[in-house]
Amino acid sequence: MLTEVLIVGVMVGAIYSLVTIGYSMVYGILKLMNFAHGDVYIFGTLVCYTLLAKFHLNPFLAVLAAAVSGGLLAALVELIAYRRLRAAQHRMISMITALGAAYVIQNSSELRWGNQVLSFPSLFPNQSVVFFGIQISVTHIFTLCVAVVVIVGFNLFLKYHKAGKAILCVSEDIPTSSLMGIPINRTISVVYFLGGVFGVLGGVLYSASYNAISISMGFRGTIIAFTAAVIGGIGSLGGALIGGMILGLSENLISVYVSSSYKDPITFLILISILLIRPTGILGSTESGKV
Amino acid sequence: MPKISKKSAVKFNVISHLAVIAGLAVLPFIIENPYYLGITNLILIYTILCMGLNLILGYTGLLSLGHAAFYGLGGYATAILMTRYGFSFLPALIISGLLALIFGMLLGVPTRKVRGDYFCLLTIAFGEIFRLVAQAWIPFTGGAMGIVGIPIPRIFSWTIRSETDFYYLGLILVVFTYLSLVLLTASRFGRAFVAIREDELAASVMGINTPAYKILAFSIGSFYAGLAGSYLAVYQTTITPSSFRLDESCLMIIMVIVGGMGSLLAPISGVIIMTLATEAFRSLADYRMLIIGVIMVTVLLFRPQGLFGTAAFKD
Repeated sequence: MLTEVLIVGVMVGAIYSLVTIGYSMVYGILKLMNFAHGDVYIFGTLVCYTLLAKFHLNPFLAVLAAAVSGGLLAALVELIAYRRLRAAQHRMISMITALGAAYVIQNSSELRWGNQVLSFPSLFPNQSVVFFGIQISVTHIFTLCVAVVVIVGFNLFLKYHKAGKAILCVSEDIPTSSLMGIPINRTISVVYFLGGVFGVLGGVLYSASYNAISISMGFRGTIIAFTAAVIGGIGSLGGALIGGMILGLSENLISVYVSSSYKDPITFLILISILLIRPTGILGSTESGKV
Repeated sequence: MPKISKKSAVKFNVISHLAVIAGLAVLPFIIENPYYLGITNLILIYTILCMGLNLILGYTGLLSLGHAAFYGLGGYATAILMTRYGFSFLPALIISGLLALIFGMLLGVPTRKVRGDYFCLLTIAFGEIFRLVAQAWIPFTGGAMGIVGIPIPRIFSWTIRSETDFYYLGLILVVFTYLSLVLLTASRFGRAFVAIREDELAASVMGINTPAYKILAFSIGSFYAGLAGSYLAVYQTTITPSSFRLDESCLMIIMVIVGGMGSLLAPISGVIIMTLATEAFRSLADYRMLIIGVIMVTVLLFRPQGLFGTAAFKD
C-alpha cells in the first residue's frame, strides 16, 4: 500500500515539477509572479484534448502541437501584457496585468470548452507491470520517464546550449547581459515559450493519468506552481524539482492516510513550517541587502 | 514619488471634507432604487477593505493576498457572536475588528524573517487555511452552508434594516476608516511605513524598528477588514466560506492597484470601477471576466501608476 502511494506521489511530484519549472524560471529572470501560468497550460492541455478526442490525431503529434500552442500563448502574453511594463516600474503592476491576462485566457477557454470536467483520453496503454511484487501502471512509468527526460534535457540545454546560457546570464543580471550583447527580449520570449511548453506537458500528463481536465484547474495550477517554487526556493531548477516532489508526495500521503478534504490545509501548513524554518525555501539563497 | 509629509495634515481641509460627507449623506435621497443602493453599499464595503489593504500594500509595500481571510474572520466572528451568544451589533463589530487585528499581528510576525514574495505566499496559505477550516469545521462555522439568520443589528435605538440604513452604517464606517487613516499616515507611523516601502534597509539604519512597524501596518490594515466583514455579516444576514476565496483577495489587490497605490483616496476609484464593471457586465456573464481582464491590462499598460495614483514608486 505504502509503496504504491509513494509511486503515485513521485509521479504527481514529477508532473508538478514540470509545471513549476516554467513558473520558477520566469520568476528567476523577471521577479514576476506569473499569475497567467496555470491558465496558459490549461489552455494547451485543452487544445491537446480537442486534437485527441475530436480529431483523433496521433498522440505524439497532438501533445507536440498542444505544447507549442501553449508556449506561443505564453510568449504572446509576455509580449502584450508584460513587456511594456518591464522597465522601471513597480513589479506588482505586471503582477496585476498577469492576473488580467489570466482572466482573459480563462474566460476565452471557458467560452470554447465550457467549465465542466471533460474526460481526457489515456495516452498510454491501460496496463500494469509487476516489479518485485509491486504493481505499477504503465501510465505512471511513462509519465515519470517523460518528466525525467524533459527535466534532464532542459538542464543540459541550460548548461551547454548558447540560448540556455543566455537564459542563465539574463537571470543573473539583465543590464549586464544586455551590455554583453545578449538579446534580452528574445531570451525572455524563449523563457516564456519554454515555460508554457513544460506547463502544457505537465498538464497533459496529469490529465492523462487522471482522465480529467477542467478550466478550474488553471488557477489551482498557478498556486501549486507558486507553492512548489517557494518550498524549493524560487528561481532555482533544483528547487522546482524538490518543491514539486514534496508537494506531490505530501498530497498523496495525506489524502490516503488522513483525509482528502484536509489535503490542502495540511499542504499549506507544511509550506508555512518550511518557510518559518528556512525563509527562502530549501535551496534558496539568502539575499543580503545592498547599500 | 508620493509626498506624505506633515503638510498634508496641515492642509487637511475641514470644510471640503464636511461638504463631501454631506453630499454622500444625501445620496440615498437621490438614488432611491434599492438595487442601485445595494451596489453603493457594496462599494462602501470594498472601500473599507481597500483602504485597509492600501495601508499594507500601498504604504508599507507588503503584498498580502490573504486580506479576504481577515474579512472572513470579522464576518464569522460577528455571525457567531450574534447568533450563538446573543451579542448586540456594536460589541460584535468591535470584537470582530480586534480579532482580525490579533490575527494580523500573528501573521505579521513572520515578516521579521520571511520576506517579499515568500511572505505573499504565506498570506495565500493563511487565507486558504482559513477558508478550508471554515468549510470543514461544521459544528462551529456551519461548513459550506455557512451561518444563516444573523439578527437585525441595532445600535442603541437605531434599528438597521433597510438598504438606506445600511448605507448610513457603511458611510459611518468609511468615514471612520478614512479619518483614522488620515491621522495615522500623517503621523510618524505613516512616514515610517513609507520609509520601509521605499527602502527597508535605509529605514532600519535611520533607526526605524522595521519589523515592529511592518507588523503594525499589517495588523491595522487587517483590523479594517474585520470591520468590513462584520458589516457584511449583518448586511447579508448569512455568511458562507465562498465569500472569502482567494479570488476575493485578488479582487481587492486589483482595486487598489487599478485605483492607485499609496494615496488614501485613489483606491476608491478602483473600487468603483471594478464594482460597477462587475455589475454592469452581469448580463454578459459569459464574457464578464474577459472584459474585466481586458480593462485591467489596458488601464495598467497606459497608466501604470493606477488611475489616480501618484507617480509609481520604485520597487
